[in-house]
Amino acid sequence: MKKKQRGTFNLGRLLQNNIVPIMFLGICIVCFPLSGRSPAYLLNELVTRLGRNTFLVLSLLIPVMAGMGMNFAMTLGAMAGQIGLILVADWQIWGIPGIILAMIVSIPISILLGVFCGSMLNKAKGREMITSYIIAFFMTGVYQLVVLFMMGPIIPIAHDSLKLSRGFGIRNTVSLLNMRQALDNLLAINVMGVKIPVLTFLIIGVLCLVIIWFRRTKLGQDMRAVAQDMEVARDAGINVDRTRVLAIVISTVVAGFGMIIYLQNMGNFSTYNAHSQIGMFSIAALLVGGASVEKASIGNAFLGVILFHMMFIMAPDAATTITGDSMIGEYFRTFVSYGVITVALIMYETRKRRNRSQTGYLLALAQKEEEARGK
Amino acid sequence: MKKRNFLFQGLLVLVLVAIGAVMMVIGRGHTVYFDNRSLEYNGTNYDSLYKIEVYLGGSAEGEAVARLYDQERGMATQVGQSMTLTLVITPEDGGEEADPATYTIDLPYNMDGIVINLPAYLEGLPEEAYLTEFVPLVTEEPEEEIDLGGDMGLGDF
Repeated sequence: MKKKQRGTFNLGRLLQNNIVPIMFLGICIVCFPLSGRSPAYLLNELVTRLGRNTFLVLSLLIPVMAGMGMNFAMTLGAMAGQIGLILVADWQIWGIPGIILAMIVSIPISILLGVFCGSMLNKAKGREMITSYIIAFFMTGVYQLVVLFMMGPIIPIAHDSLKLSRGFGIRNTVSLLNMRQALDNLLAINVMGVKIPVLTFLIIGVLCLVIIWFRRTKLGQDMRAVAQDMEVARDAGINVDRTRVLAIVISTVVAGFGMIIYLQNMGNFSTYNAHSQIGMFSIAALLVGGASVEKASIGNAFLGVILFHMMFIMAPDAATTITGDSMIGEYFRTFVSYGVITVALIMYETRKRRNRSQTGYLLALAQKEEEARGK
Repeated sequence: MKKRNFLFQGLLVLVLVAIGAVMMVIGRGHTVYFDNRSLEYNGTNYDSLYKIEVYLGGSAEGEAVARLYDQERGMATQVGQSMTLTLVITPEDGGEEADPATYTIDLPYNMDGIVINLPAYLEGLPEEAYLTEFVPLVTEEPEEEIDLGGDMGLGDF
């Protein structure tokens, strides 16, 4: 009887813990026949988006490990990646060398931005997510200042195809035609009409291995200790602030690389807007994969990208079938993205409160027991 | 320990800079234009050829990137600091095609667009005679309106 009870409890808990992925799976199952798309089309799109976005989503894992929640400031890394790409496009470095050079250029910018962001977050302990969200907005302004006014007069930009006709500032769209899908096409294989970007997946695989290895390092252990309890970690001799800054720096650098991988797949980018929603959508994808603010794994990242993008691919077509207007699908997928983040945050808080009250209840019971024993 | 870390970090920076430098050299892209045009150099006139077929690489296999008759121009893109091409030349109308010949031309780093006058190059003239920079025509454009966003994320991911 007892065993059965435990089994039921676990199933309920399992459902409760995975409500977001289950919900999304449901949406996808409903949308698939309505979208009228073939499985081959869906698979092709899914593989492309998996290669394009997974690196970005994986960049969020380290700050979660360090107890800093979802790093909305990964946008800073995306900006660094974009600056790298603008410079490389101006220097006319094409193909894979261009991508590698853009990554190298993005590293110092990402580190600087990461150190800045990490230091700010250390001053706002316990409110990391909202702080990082606002930092992302703030840094967008700085990015616009740099790209709109400093590129040309201060940072040399030689090509008129990049510059605005007034002679300084970058145009609305930067073409990456000379490095478009260079990474995806190298070593790509075609399996039954589905193009698999092997090299991109290999790079993602290497990042996964690095994350697994990193968790076992001293710094990785320190981050987990900091996430558990900052005071205890400090007493154990861990430099809490430095560890937290490093978590954000790593996340920002990886996000910069991720943005470059993402944009080389797209082939061009909107100079002033491309980065703005990347954090939001990456976080939504990770949460859809079953991650929470305090726990996220590589599996969550992959599952999240698959489910989130399945919805992204099918929603406009499904909405067109139902309402006759594809725009409804666009709205649907946007409001679902924001909705998922809201649900995940509410669930996290509810669970935290429940755990806290449960701990309080257990403590009270233990106290009563002790008092009874004393009598 | 600190000294070792510092050394390691310095070494890492050096390695990254070195990789960056290598990428700058091997990844430099050029647009190369091939001309089959007459040219006057040092008072001597060099006539264009009847037909030149241009193949990229060391053999005349596959699709030619340009098939140039008198006064025509072809184009190809090249990544790196030199370009190997194979030319199949027909000197005169009705004449026989010569055997394919392979040439390697050095491309100047500072030029995005390079015009190579093939008759001059084949005559063995110096670089200043056969190679010029392609300068695109500058056209007056209306001022582009900057889009700083603010659509609350209705774009695609």
